[in-house]
Amino acid sequence: MSKTLNVKPMELVSGWIGWIFFRDLVGGLSLTLSYMFSKTVTEQYPDKEKWVPYPRYRGHHFLNTNEEGDVNCVACELCAKICPCDCIEVVPYEDEKGNRRPKVFDINLGRCLFCGLCEDACPADAIKLGQLYEFSSETSQALNVGRDALMGMPRKAEEGGKVYDAEFSLLEGVSVNISADNKSHDWWKKIRRG
Amino acid sequence: MIRGGLIVIELVSLVVLLAKMVIVILVLLMLPIPLTWLERKIAGHIQQRLGPMRVGWHGLLQPLADGIKLLTKEDHIPDEADRLLFTLAPIITLVATFALFVVIPIGDPIQLFGQEITLYLADMNVALLYVLAVSGIHVFAVIIGGWASNSKYAVLGSLRTCAQMISYEIPMGFAVVGVVMLAHSMSLVSIVNSQADVWNIVYQPLGFFVFFIASLAEAQRIPFDLAEAEGDLGAGYHTEYSGMRFSLFMISEYLIVIFLAALNVILFFGGWNDFLVPLPSILWFVLKVGFFVWLFMWFRFTFPRYRYDQLMSIGWKVLLPLSLANILVSGLILS
Repeated sequence: MSKTLNVKPMELVSGWIGWIFFRDLVGGLSLTLSYMFSKTVTEQYPDKEKWVPYPRYRGHHFLNTNEEGDVNCVACELCAKICPCDCIEVVPYEDEKGNRRPKVFDINLGRCLFCGLCEDACPADAIKLGQLYEFSSETSQALNVGRDALMGMPRKAEEGGKVYDAEFSLLEGVSVNISADNKSHDWWKKIRRG
Repeated sequence: MIRGGLIVIELVSLVVLLAKMVIVILVLLMLPIPLTWLERKIAGHIQQRLGPMRVGWHGLLQPLADGIKLLTKEDHIPDEADRLLFTLAPIITLVATFALFVVIPIGDPIQLFGQEITLYLADMNVALLYVLAVSGIHVFAVIIGGWASNSKYAVLGSLRTCAQMISYEIPMGFAVVGVVMLAHSMSLVSIVNSQADVWNIVYQPLGFFVFFIASLAEAQRIPFDLAEAEGDLGAGYHTEYSGMRFSLFMISEYLIVIFLAALNVILFFGGWNDFLVPLPSILWFVLKVGFFVWLFMWFRFTFPRYRYDQLMSIGWKVLLPLSLANILVSGLILS
Protein backbone atom coordinates (compact mmCIF):
# COMPACT_ATOMS: atom_id res chain seq x y z
CA MET A 1 0.00 0.00 0.00
CA SER A 2 2.69 2.45 1.04
CA LYS A 3 4.59 1.49 -2.10
CA THR A 4 1.62 2.49 -4.24
CA LEU A 5 1.27 5.81 -2.43
CA ASN A 6 4.89 6.70 -3.03
CA VAL A 7 4.50 6.32 -6.81
CA LYS A 8 3.51 9.54 -8.55
CA PRO A 9 0.08 9.33 -10.19
CA MET A 10 1.43 10.16 -13.64
CA GLU A 11 3.94 7.32 -13.43
CA LEU A 12 1.14 4.99 -12.40
CA VAL A 13 -0.99 6.08 -15.35
CA SER A 14 1.85 5.75 -17.84
CA GLY A 15 2.64 2.34 -16.36
CA TRP A 16 -0.95 1.25 -16.94
CA ILE A 17 -0.94 2.63 -20.48
CA GLY A 18 2.27 0.72 -21.14
CA TRP A 19 0.69 -2.43 -19.72
CA ILE A 20 -2.38 -2.07 -21.93
CA PHE A 21 -0.31 -1.61 -25.09
CA PHE A 22 2.15 -4.39 -24.17
CA ARG A 23 5.17 -2.15 -23.75
CA ASP A 24 7.32 -5.07 -22.57
CA LEU A 25 6.34 -7.31 -25.47
CA VAL A 26 6.91 -4.50 -27.99
CA GLY A 27 10.30 -3.84 -26.40
CA GLY A 28 11.28 -7.46 -26.88
CA LEU A 29 10.05 -7.50 -30.46
CA SER A 30 11.95 -4.34 -31.39
CA LEU A 31 15.12 -5.77 -29.86
CA THR A 32 14.90 -8.98 -31.90
CA LEU A 33 14.06 -6.95 -35.00
CA SER A 34 17.19 -4.85 -34.58
CA TYR A 35 19.22 -8.03 -34.10
CA MET A 36 17.68 -9.51 -37.23
CA PHE A 37 19.05 -6.70 -39.38
CA SER A 38 22.42 -6.46 -37.64
CA LYS A 39 25.59 -8.18 -38.77
CA THR A 40 25.98 -11.85 -37.93
CA VAL A 41 28.91 -13.04 -35.85
CA THR A 42 29.13 -16.50 -37.41
CA GLU A 43 32.61 -17.55 -38.44
CA GLN A 44 32.23 -19.68 -41.55
CA TYR A 45 34.84 -22.26 -40.65
CA PRO A 46 35.82 -24.41 -42.51
CA ASP A 47 34.02 -23.27 -45.66
CA LYS A 48 35.11 -19.69 -46.09
CA GLU A 49 36.94 -18.41 -43.05
CA LYS A 50 39.54 -19.56 -40.59
CA TRP A 51 40.62 -18.27 -37.23
CA VAL A 52 44.36 -17.79 -36.90
CA PRO A 53 45.15 -17.64 -33.19
CA TYR A 54 47.31 -15.08 -31.43
CA PRO A 55 51.09 -15.77 -31.35
CA ARG A 56 50.77 -16.56 -27.64
CA TYR A 57 48.49 -19.51 -28.53
CA ARG A 58 49.71 -22.95 -27.45
CA GLY A 59 49.10 -25.33 -30.32
CA HIS A 60 51.16 -28.02 -32.03
CA HIS A 61 54.82 -28.15 -30.87
CA PHE A 62 57.78 -27.42 -33.11
CA LEU A 63 61.57 -27.63 -32.63
CA ASN A 64 63.60 -24.54 -33.55
CA THR A 65 66.66 -25.01 -35.73
CA ASN A 66 69.84 -22.95 -35.99
CA GLU A 67 71.48 -21.46 -39.11
CA GLU A 68 73.23 -24.72 -39.97
CA GLY A 69 69.92 -26.54 -40.01
CA ASP A 70 70.67 -28.43 -36.80
CA VAL A 71 68.08 -28.65 -34.09
CA ASN A 72 68.55 -26.23 -31.19
CA CYS A 73 67.76 -28.91 -28.68
CA VAL A 74 70.66 -30.05 -26.47
CA ALA A 75 68.75 -33.07 -25.20
CA CYS A 76 68.91 -31.93 -21.59
CA GLU A 77 65.56 -33.63 -21.02
CA LEU A 78 64.27 -30.78 -18.84
CA CYS A 79 61.08 -30.70 -20.88
CA ALA A 80 60.57 -34.41 -20.35
CA LYS A 81 61.14 -33.92 -16.60
CA ILE A 82 58.74 -31.01 -16.20
CA CYS A 83 56.02 -32.43 -18.42
CA PRO A 84 53.04 -33.06 -16.10
CA CYS A 85 51.62 -35.80 -18.30
CA ASP A 86 54.89 -37.46 -19.13
CA CYS A 87 54.39 -37.30 -22.86
CA ILE A 88 57.90 -36.28 -24.03
CA GLU A 89 60.59 -38.87 -24.60
CA VAL A 90 64.16 -37.69 -25.33
CA VAL A 91 67.17 -39.93 -26.06
CA PRO A 92 70.46 -38.00 -26.39
CA TYR A 93 73.43 -38.80 -28.65
CA GLU A 94 76.59 -37.10 -29.85
CA ASP A 95 76.43 -35.97 -33.48
CA GLU A 96 79.35 -35.74 -35.93
CA LYS A 97 80.14 -32.14 -34.82
CA GLY A 98 80.48 -33.30 -31.25
CA ASN A 99 77.31 -31.65 -29.96
CA ARG A 100 74.80 -33.25 -27.67
CA ARG A 101 71.59 -33.57 -29.68
CA PRO A 102 68.42 -35.67 -29.37
CA LYS A 103 68.46 -38.95 -31.25
CA VAL A 104 64.83 -39.46 -30.36
CA PHE A 105 62.42 -36.62 -29.54
CA ASP A 106 58.90 -38.03 -29.39
CA ILE A 107 55.86 -36.13 -28.20
CA ASN A 108 52.64 -38.01 -27.61
CA LEU A 109 50.07 -35.36 -28.50
CA GLY A 110 47.29 -37.66 -27.34
CA ARG A 111 48.53 -37.20 -23.77
CA CYS A 112 49.78 -33.62 -24.03
CA LEU A 113 47.69 -30.99 -22.26
CA PHE A 114 49.35 -28.02 -24.02
CA CYS A 115 50.36 -26.32 -20.78
CA GLY A 116 53.53 -24.89 -22.30
CA LEU A 117 55.79 -25.85 -19.37
CA CYS A 118 58.25 -27.52 -21.75
CA GLU A 119 58.57 -24.23 -23.58
CA ASP A 120 59.31 -22.44 -20.29
CA ALA A 121 61.79 -25.05 -19.11
CA CYS A 122 63.81 -25.21 -22.33
CA PRO A 123 67.26 -23.56 -21.91
CA ALA A 124 68.12 -23.70 -25.62
CA ASP A 125 65.05 -22.02 -27.14
CA ALA A 126 64.29 -25.26 -28.94
CA ILE A 127 60.79 -26.51 -28.14
CA LYS A 128 57.95 -24.10 -28.77
CA LEU A 129 54.19 -24.35 -29.05
CA GLY A 130 52.93 -22.95 -32.34
CA GLN A 131 49.62 -21.72 -33.70
CA LEU A 132 48.63 -24.90 -35.54
CA TYR A 133 45.50 -26.45 -34.10
CA GLU A 134 44.22 -28.72 -36.89
CA PHE A 135 45.97 -32.02 -36.22
CA SER A 136 43.20 -34.41 -35.32
CA SER A 137 43.70 -37.90 -36.69
CA GLU A 138 41.90 -41.20 -36.97
CA THR A 139 44.62 -43.24 -35.25
CA SER A 140 46.40 -42.60 -31.98
CA GLN A 141 49.70 -43.64 -33.62
CA ALA A 142 49.53 -40.53 -35.80
CA LEU A 143 49.59 -38.41 -32.64
CA ASN A 144 53.09 -39.68 -31.76
CA VAL A 145 55.21 -37.00 -33.41
CA GLY A 146 58.95 -37.56 -33.88
CA ARG A 147 61.96 -35.25 -34.02
CA ASP A 148 62.10 -34.64 -37.77
CA ALA A 149 58.37 -33.97 -37.97
CA LEU A 150 58.65 -31.48 -35.12
CA MET A 151 61.51 -29.68 -36.91
CA GLY A 152 59.35 -29.41 -40.01
CA MET A 153 56.31 -27.96 -38.25
CA PRO A 154 55.30 -24.34 -39.08
CA ARG A 155 56.86 -21.68 -36.87
CA LYS A 156 54.94 -18.95 -35.08
CA ALA A 157 53.40 -16.34 -37.37
CA GLU A 158 54.13 -12.65 -36.84
CA GLU A 159 50.52 -11.82 -36.17
CA GLY A 160 47.33 -13.60 -35.32
CA GLY A 161 44.01 -13.14 -33.61
CA LYS A 162 42.21 -12.54 -36.89
CA VAL A 163 39.77 -14.32 -39.16
CA TYR A 164 41.32 -15.01 -42.56
CA ASP A 165 39.55 -15.87 -45.80
CA ALA A 166 40.11 -19.57 -46.33
CA GLU A 167 39.30 -22.43 -48.65
CA PHE A 168 38.05 -25.82 -47.64
CA SER A 169 39.72 -28.63 -49.55
CA LEU A 170 39.24 -32.37 -49.62
CA LEU A 171 41.97 -32.97 -52.24
CA GLU A 172 44.74 -34.19 -49.93
CA GLY A 173 42.99 -35.25 -46.80
CA VAL A 174 40.86 -32.59 -45.14
CA SER A 175 42.45 -29.18 -45.01
CA VAL A 176 41.47 -25.56 -44.55
CA ASN A 177 43.94 -23.27 -46.27
CA ILE A 178 44.17 -19.53 -45.99
CA SER A 179 43.32 -18.21 -49.45
CA ALA A 180 45.84 -16.49 -51.68
CA ASP A 181 44.57 -12.93 -51.20
CA ASN A 182 45.47 -13.25 -47.49
CA LYS A 183 42.57 -11.01 -46.48
CA SER A 184 41.65 -10.88 -42.83
CA HIS A 185 39.35 -9.05 -40.48
CA ASP A 186 39.04 -8.46 -36.78
CA TRP A 187 36.23 -10.70 -35.58
CA TRP A 188 35.69 -8.72 -32.40
CA LYS A 189 34.58 -5.67 -34.38
CA LYS A 190 31.31 -7.46 -35.22
CA ILE A 191 30.40 -8.08 -31.61
CA ARG A 192 27.61 -5.88 -30.31
CA ARG A 193 28.16 -4.51 -26.88
CA GLY A 194 25.62 -2.90 -24.59
CA MET B 1 -27.57 -28.47 -80.07
CA ILE B 2 -28.17 -26.34 -76.98
CA ARG B 3 -27.78 -29.39 -74.79
CA GLY B 4 -24.46 -30.20 -76.46
CA GLY B 5 -23.23 -26.66 -75.77
CA LEU B 6 -24.24 -26.99 -72.14
CA ILE B 7 -22.31 -30.24 -71.83
CA VAL B 8 -19.22 -28.60 -73.28
CA ILE B 9 -19.49 -25.73 -70.79
CA GLU B 10 -19.93 -28.23 -67.96
CA LEU B 11 -16.92 -30.19 -69.18
CA VAL B 12 -14.74 -27.07 -69.42
CA SER B 13 -15.65 -25.97 -65.90
CA LEU B 14 -14.93 -29.48 -64.63
CA VAL B 15 -11.49 -29.48 -66.27
CA VAL B 16 -10.77 -26.03 -64.83
CA LEU B 17 -11.80 -27.21 -61.37
CA LEU B 18 -9.61 -30.31 -61.61
CA ALA B 19 -6.65 -28.25 -62.81
CA LYS B 20 -7.11 -25.84 -59.93
CA MET B 21 -7.26 -28.74 -57.48
CA VAL B 22 -4.03 -30.23 -58.81
CA ILE B 23 -2.30 -26.85 -58.68
CA VAL B 24 -3.49 -26.16 -55.12
CA ILE B 25 -2.35 -29.58 -53.90
CA LEU B 26 1.05 -29.25 -55.58
CA VAL B 27 1.60 -25.74 -54.26
CA LEU B 28 0.56 -26.76 -50.75
CA LEU B 29 2.92 -29.74 -50.79
CA MET B 30 5.75 -27.50 -51.99
CA LEU B 31 5.14 -24.59 -49.61
CA PRO B 32 6.71 -26.09 -46.46
CA ILE B 33 10.02 -26.41 -48.34
CA PRO B 34 10.79 -22.69 -48.55
CA LEU B 35 9.12 -22.11 -45.19
CA THR B 36 11.45 -24.39 -43.23
CA TRP B 37 14.38 -22.64 -44.86
CA LEU B 38 12.88 -19.24 -44.07
CA GLU B 39 12.19 -20.20 -40.47
CA ARG B 40 15.76 -21.36 -39.90
CA LYS B 41 17.17 -18.28 -41.60
CA ILE B 42 14.99 -15.92 -39.55
CA ALA B 43 15.87 -17.82 -36.37
CA GLY B 44 19.54 -17.52 -37.26
CA HIS B 45 19.54 -13.83 -38.03
CA ILE B 46 17.51 -12.95 -34.94
CA GLN B 47 20.21 -14.72 -32.93
CA GLN B 48 22.99 -13.11 -35.01
CA ARG B 49 23.77 -16.41 -36.70
CA LEU B 50 23.67 -17.17 -40.41
CA GLY B 51 21.43 -20.22 -40.38
CA PRO B 52 21.90 -22.91 -43.04
CA MET B 53 24.70 -21.95 -45.45
CA ARG B 54 26.27 -25.14 -46.78
CA VAL B 55 23.73 -26.82 -49.08
CA GLY B 56 23.09 -24.63 -52.10
CA TRP B 57 23.22 -20.85 -52.28
CA HIS B 58 22.77 -19.60 -48.71
CA GLY B 59 21.46 -23.04 -47.77
CA LEU B 60 18.49 -22.86 -50.15
CA LEU B 61 18.65 -26.59 -50.86
CA GLN B 62 18.77 -27.48 -47.16
CA PRO B 63 15.04 -28.40 -47.01
CA LEU B 64 15.61 -30.88 -49.87
CA ALA B 65 18.48 -32.46 -47.97
CA ASP B 66 16.25 -32.64 -44.89
CA GLY B 67 13.48 -34.18 -46.98
CA ILE B 68 15.79 -36.86 -48.34
CA LYS B 69 16.95 -37.57 -44.81
CA LEU B 70 13.38 -37.92 -43.52
CA LEU B 71 12.36 -40.12 -46.46
CA THR B 72 15.27 -42.51 -46.03
CA LYS B 73 14.90 -42.83 -42.27
CA GLU B 74 13.54 -45.99 -40.76
CA ASP B 75 9.76 -45.88 -40.58
CA HIS B 76 9.47 -46.89 -36.98
CA ILE B 77 6.26 -47.94 -35.27
CA PRO B 78 6.59 -48.55 -31.53
CA ASP B 79 5.96 -52.09 -30.35
CA GLU B 80 3.09 -51.19 -28.04
CA ALA B 81 1.46 -48.75 -30.44
CA ASP B 82 -1.94 -49.22 -32.03
CA ARG B 83 -0.73 -49.78 -35.57
CA LEU B 84 -3.88 -48.79 -37.42
CA LEU B 85 -4.47 -45.55 -35.56
CA PHE B 86 -0.76 -44.77 -35.53
CA THR B 87 -0.61 -44.88 -39.32
CA LEU B 88 -3.97 -43.16 -39.69
CA ALA B 89 -3.24 -40.05 -37.58
CA PRO B 90 -0.73 -38.29 -39.89
CA ILE B 91 -3.03 -38.87 -42.86
CA ILE B 92 -6.00 -37.40 -41.00
CA THR B 93 -4.06 -34.29 -40.06
CA LEU B 94 -2.89 -33.78 -43.63
CA VAL B 95 -6.37 -34.30 -45.09
CA ALA B 96 -7.93 -31.96 -42.54
CA THR B 97 -5.35 -29.31 -43.34
CA PHE B 98 -5.79 -29.64 -47.09
CA ALA B 99 -9.57 -29.45 -46.69
CA LEU B 100 -9.15 -26.03 -45.07
CA PHE B 101 -7.67 -24.58 -48.23
CA VAL B 102 -10.75 -25.44 -50.30
CA VAL B 103 -12.42 -22.17 -49.33
CA ILE B 104 -9.42 -19.85 -49.21
CA PRO B 105 -9.68 -17.33 -52.07
CA ILE B 106 -6.40 -15.80 -53.18
CA GLY B 107 -7.34 -13.06 -55.64
CA ASP B 108 -9.72 -11.46 -58.12
CA PRO B 109 -10.90 -13.69 -60.98
CA ILE B 110 -8.45 -13.75 -63.90
CA GLN B 111 -9.04 -14.18 -67.64
CA LEU B 112 -7.34 -17.18 -69.21
CA PHE B 113 -8.05 -18.54 -72.74
CA GLY B 114 -11.27 -16.52 -72.84
CA GLN B 115 -12.45 -18.16 -69.64
CA GLU B 116 -13.03 -16.33 -66.40
CA ILE B 117 -11.19 -18.33 -63.76
CA THR B 118 -11.96 -17.73 -60.11
CA LEU B 119 -9.04 -18.06 -57.73
CA TYR B 120 -10.67 -20.39 -55.22
CA LEU B 121 -11.91 -23.95 -55.28
CA ALA B 122 -15.28 -23.23 -53.72
CA ASP B 123 -17.11 -20.09 -52.66
CA MET B 124 -19.38 -21.43 -49.95
CA ASN B 125 -21.86 -19.09 -48.37
CA VAL B 126 -20.89 -20.56 -44.99
CA ALA B 127 -17.15 -20.63 -45.66
CA LEU B 128 -16.27 -19.13 -42.30
CA LEU B 129 -18.33 -21.72 -40.48
CA TYR B 130 -16.73 -24.45 -42.61
CA VAL B 131 -13.24 -23.17 -41.76
CA LEU B 132 -13.92 -23.10 -38.02
CA ALA B 133 -15.48 -26.55 -38.14
CA VAL B 134 -12.84 -28.24 -40.28
CA SER B 135 -9.99 -26.80 -38.26
CA GLY B 136 -11.54 -28.74 -35.39
CA ILE B 137 -10.87 -32.04 -37.20
CA HIS B 138 -7.18 -31.46 -36.57
CA VAL B 139 -7.87 -32.15 -32.89
CA PHE B 140 -8.91 -35.69 -33.79
CA ALA B 141 -5.64 -36.36 -35.56
CA VAL B 142 -3.72 -35.06 -32.59
CA ILE B 143 -5.61 -37.07 -30.02
CA ILE B 144 -5.51 -40.24 -32.16
CA GLY B 145 -1.77 -39.81 -32.79
CA GLY B 146 -1.05 -39.22 -29.11
CA TRP B 147 -3.21 -42.10 -27.95
CA ALA B 148 -1.97 -44.59 -30.53
CA SER B 149 1.68 -43.91 -29.69
CA ASN B 150 1.13 -45.41 -26.23
CA SER B 151 3.67 -43.09 -24.68
CA LYS B 152 3.21 -40.80 -21.70
CA TYR B 153 4.74 -37.78 -23.44
CA ALA B 154 2.61 -38.23 -26.53
CA VAL B 155 -0.60 -38.60 -24.52
CA LEU B 156 0.19 -35.59 -22.34
CA GLY B 157 1.05 -33.56 -25.41
CA SER B 158 -2.11 -34.53 -27.22
CA LEU B 159 -4.25 -33.78 -24.15
CA ARG B 160 -2.65 -30.36 -23.88
CA THR B 161 -3.16 -29.72 -27.57
CA CYS B 162 -6.83 -30.64 -27.38
CA ALA B 163 -7.50 -28.51 -24.33
CA GLN B 164 -5.65 -25.60 -25.88
CA MET B 165 -7.31 -25.82 -29.29
CA ILE B 166 -10.80 -26.21 -27.89
CA SER B 167 -10.44 -23.29 -25.51
CA TYR B 168 -8.97 -21.02 -28.15
CA GLU B 169 -11.46 -21.94 -30.85
CA ILE B 170 -14.20 -20.28 -28.80
CA PRO B 171 -12.71 -16.77 -28.68
CA MET B 172 -11.64 -17.27 -32.29
CA GLY B 173 -15.20 -18.03 -33.31
CA PHE B 174 -16.55 -15.05 -31.38
CA ALA B 175 -13.87 -12.74 -32.80
CA VAL B 176 -14.98 -13.35 -36.38
CA VAL B 177 -18.62 -12.55 -35.56
CA GLY B 178 -17.82 -8.85 -35.79
CA VAL B 179 -16.44 -9.37 -39.28
CA VAL B 180 -19.54 -11.28 -40.32
CA MET B 181 -21.73 -8.47 -38.98
CA LEU B 182 -19.82 -5.94 -41.08
CA ALA B 183 -19.84 -8.00 -44.28
CA HIS B 184 -23.39 -9.38 -43.90
CA SER B 185 -21.98 -12.65 -45.20
CA MET B 186 -19.96 -15.65 -44.16
CA SER B 187 -18.47 -16.20 -47.59
CA LEU B 188 -14.79 -15.30 -47.58
CA VAL B 189 -14.99 -13.80 -51.07
CA SER B 190 -17.74 -11.37 -50.11
CA ILE B 191 -15.95 -10.59 -46.84
CA VAL B 192 -12.92 -9.52 -48.87
CA ASN B 193 -15.04 -7.60 -51.36
CA SER B 194 -16.76 -5.74 -48.52
CA GLN B 195 -13.34 -4.41 -47.47
CA ALA B 196 -12.64 -2.69 -50.79
CA ASP B 197 -12.73 0.77 -49.20
CA VAL B 198 -11.76 0.29 -45.57
CA TRP B 199 -10.12 -2.78 -44.12
CA ASN B 200 -11.78 -4.46 -41.18
CA ILE B 201 -8.79 -3.77 -38.94
CA VAL B 202 -10.01 -0.16 -38.72
CA TYR B 203 -13.46 -1.14 -37.45
CA GLN B 204 -12.43 -4.28 -35.56
CA PRO B 205 -9.06 -3.70 -33.88
CA LEU B 206 -10.15 -5.62 -30.79
CA GLY B 207 -11.53 -8.44 -32.92
CA PHE B 208 -8.23 -8.64 -34.76
CA PHE B 209 -6.29 -8.66 -31.51
CA VAL B 210 -8.31 -11.57 -30.15
CA PHE B 211 -8.24 -13.41 -33.47
CA PHE B 212 -4.50 -12.98 -33.91
CA ILE B 213 -3.67 -14.28 -30.45
CA ALA B 214 -6.12 -17.15 -30.84
CA SER B 215 -4.56 -18.02 -34.19
CA LEU B 216 -1.10 -18.07 -32.60
CA ALA B 217 -2.52 -20.56 -30.12
CA GLU B 218 -4.28 -22.55 -32.87
CA ALA B 219 -1.04 -22.83 -34.81
CA GLN B 220 0.60 -23.97 -31.57
CA ARG B 221 3.50 -21.65 -31.97
CA ILE B 222 5.47 -19.85 -29.31
CA PRO B 223 4.30 -18.31 -26.98
CA PHE B 224 1.55 -20.96 -26.99
CA ASP B 225 3.47 -24.08 -27.99
CA LEU B 226 2.72 -25.87 -24.72
CA ALA B 227 1.68 -28.95 -26.66
CA GLU B 228 5.15 -29.62 -27.94
CA ALA B 229 7.19 -27.99 -25.22
CA GLU B 230 10.53 -29.63 -25.92
CA GLY B 231 11.71 -29.02 -22.37
CA ASP B 232 9.00 -30.96 -20.58
CA LEU B 233 7.29 -33.20 -23.14
CA GLY B 234 9.82 -34.42 -25.66
CA ALA B 235 7.92 -33.28 -28.71
CA GLY B 236 4.28 -33.56 -27.70
CA TYR B 237 1.88 -35.76 -29.64
CA HIS B 238 4.40 -36.67 -32.34
CA THR B 239 7.13 -37.79 -29.94
CA GLU B 240 7.02 -41.37 -31.25
CA TYR B 241 6.77 -40.48 -34.91
CA SER B 242 9.76 -40.58 -37.21
CA GLY B 243 10.63 -40.43 -40.87
CA MET B 244 7.84 -39.85 -43.37
CA ARG B 245 5.00 -39.85 -40.85
CA PHE B 246 6.73 -37.19 -38.80
CA SER B 247 7.25 -35.09 -41.88
CA LEU B 248 3.50 -35.30 -42.64
CA PHE B 249 2.85 -33.75 -39.22
CA MET B 250 5.44 -31.07 -39.93
CA ILE B 251 3.93 -30.28 -43.34
CA SER B 252 0.48 -29.89 -41.83
CA GLU B 253 1.90 -27.68 -39.09
CA TYR B 254 3.42 -25.32 -41.64
CA LEU B 255 0.27 -25.37 -43.75
CA ILE B 256 -1.79 -24.40 -40.71
CA VAL B 257 0.53 -21.45 -40.17
CA ILE B 258 -0.04 -20.35 -43.77
CA PHE B 259 -3.76 -20.95 -43.45
CA LEU B 260 -4.06 -18.85 -40.30
CA ALA B 261 -1.95 -16.09 -41.84
CA ALA B 262 -4.26 -16.14 -44.88
CA LEU B 263 -7.32 -16.06 -42.65
CA ASN B 264 -5.95 -13.07 -40.72
CA VAL B 265 -5.38 -11.28 -44.02
CA ILE B 266 -8.79 -12.16 -45.47
CA LEU B 267 -10.78 -11.26 -42.38
CA PHE B 268 -8.98 -8.17 -41.15
CA PHE B 269 -6.42 -6.91 -43.66
CA GLY B 270 -8.55 -6.58 -46.77
CA GLY B 271 -7.55 -9.81 -48.51
CA TRP B 272 -6.18 -8.93 -51.93
CA ASN B 273 -7.40 -5.31 -51.87
CA ASP B 274 -4.45 -3.08 -52.68
CA PHE B 275 -3.20 -0.28 -50.50
CA LEU B 276 -1.44 2.75 -52.06
CA VAL B 277 0.49 0.63 -54.57
CA PRO B 278 -1.62 -1.00 -57.30
CA LEU B 279 -0.18 -4.49 -57.79
CA PRO B 280 -1.84 -7.64 -59.15
CA SER B 281 -4.32 -8.90 -56.58
CA ILE B 282 -2.56 -12.26 -56.10
CA LEU B 283 0.73 -10.49 -55.41
CA TRP B 284 -0.86 -8.28 -52.77
CA PHE B 285 -2.40 -11.32 -51.12
CA VAL B 286 0.87 -13.26 -51.14
CA LEU B 287 2.75 -10.27 -49.74
CA LYS B 288 0.30 -9.84 -46.90
CA VAL B 289 0.26 -13.54 -46.06
CA GLY B 290 4.05 -13.59 -46.20
CA PHE B 291 4.15 -10.70 -43.77
CA PHE B 292 1.95 -12.58 -41.34
CA VAL B 293 4.00 -15.75 -41.65
CA TRP B 294 7.08 -13.70 -40.91
CA LEU B 295 5.28 -12.12 -37.95
CA PHE B 296 4.55 -15.61 -36.55
CA MET B 297 8.23 -16.53 -36.89
CA TRP B 298 9.36 -13.23 -35.39
CA PHE B 299 7.12 -13.89 -32.37
CA ARG B 300 8.46 -17.40 -32.09
CA PHE B 301 12.04 -16.28 -31.72
CA THR B 302 11.26 -13.40 -29.36
CA PHE B 303 8.98 -14.71 -26.64
CA PRO B 304 9.27 -17.49 -24.10
CA ARG B 305 6.32 -19.82 -23.73
CA TYR B 306 3.50 -19.32 -21.25
CA ARG B 307 2.85 -21.62 -18.35
CA TYR B 308 -0.08 -23.98 -18.83
CA ASP B 309 -2.37 -22.26 -16.31
CA GLN B 310 -1.48 -18.88 -17.81
CA LEU B 311 -2.43 -20.22 -21.23
CA MET B 312 -5.82 -21.33 -19.95
CA SER B 313 -6.51 -18.11 -18.06
CA ILE B 314 -5.56 -15.98 -21.08
CA GLY B 315 -7.98 -17.97 -23.19
CA TRP B 316 -10.95 -18.06 -20.83
CA LYS B 317 -10.53 -14.97 -18.66
CA VAL B 318 -9.13 -12.46 -21.15
CA LEU B 319 -9.82 -13.39 -24.76
CA LEU B 320 -13.34 -14.75 -24.28
CA PRO B 321 -14.70 -11.65 -22.43
CA LEU B 322 -12.88 -9.38 -24.88
CA SER B 323 -14.38 -11.12 -27.89
CA LEU B 324 -17.87 -11.01 -26.32
CA ALA B 325 -17.44 -7.30 -25.57
CA ASN B 326 -16.33 -6.81 -29.16
CA ILE B 327 -19.55 -8.38 -30.45
CA LEU B 328 -21.62 -6.27 -28.07
CA VAL B 329 -19.95 -2.98 -29.00
CA SER B 330 -19.99 -3.65 -32.75
CA GLY B 331 -23.64 -4.67 -32.53
CA LEU B 332 -24.53 -1.46 -30.67
CA ILE B 333 -22.65 0.72 -33.17
CA LEU B 334 -24.01 -1.06 -36.22
CA SER B 335 -27.60 -0.84 -35.03
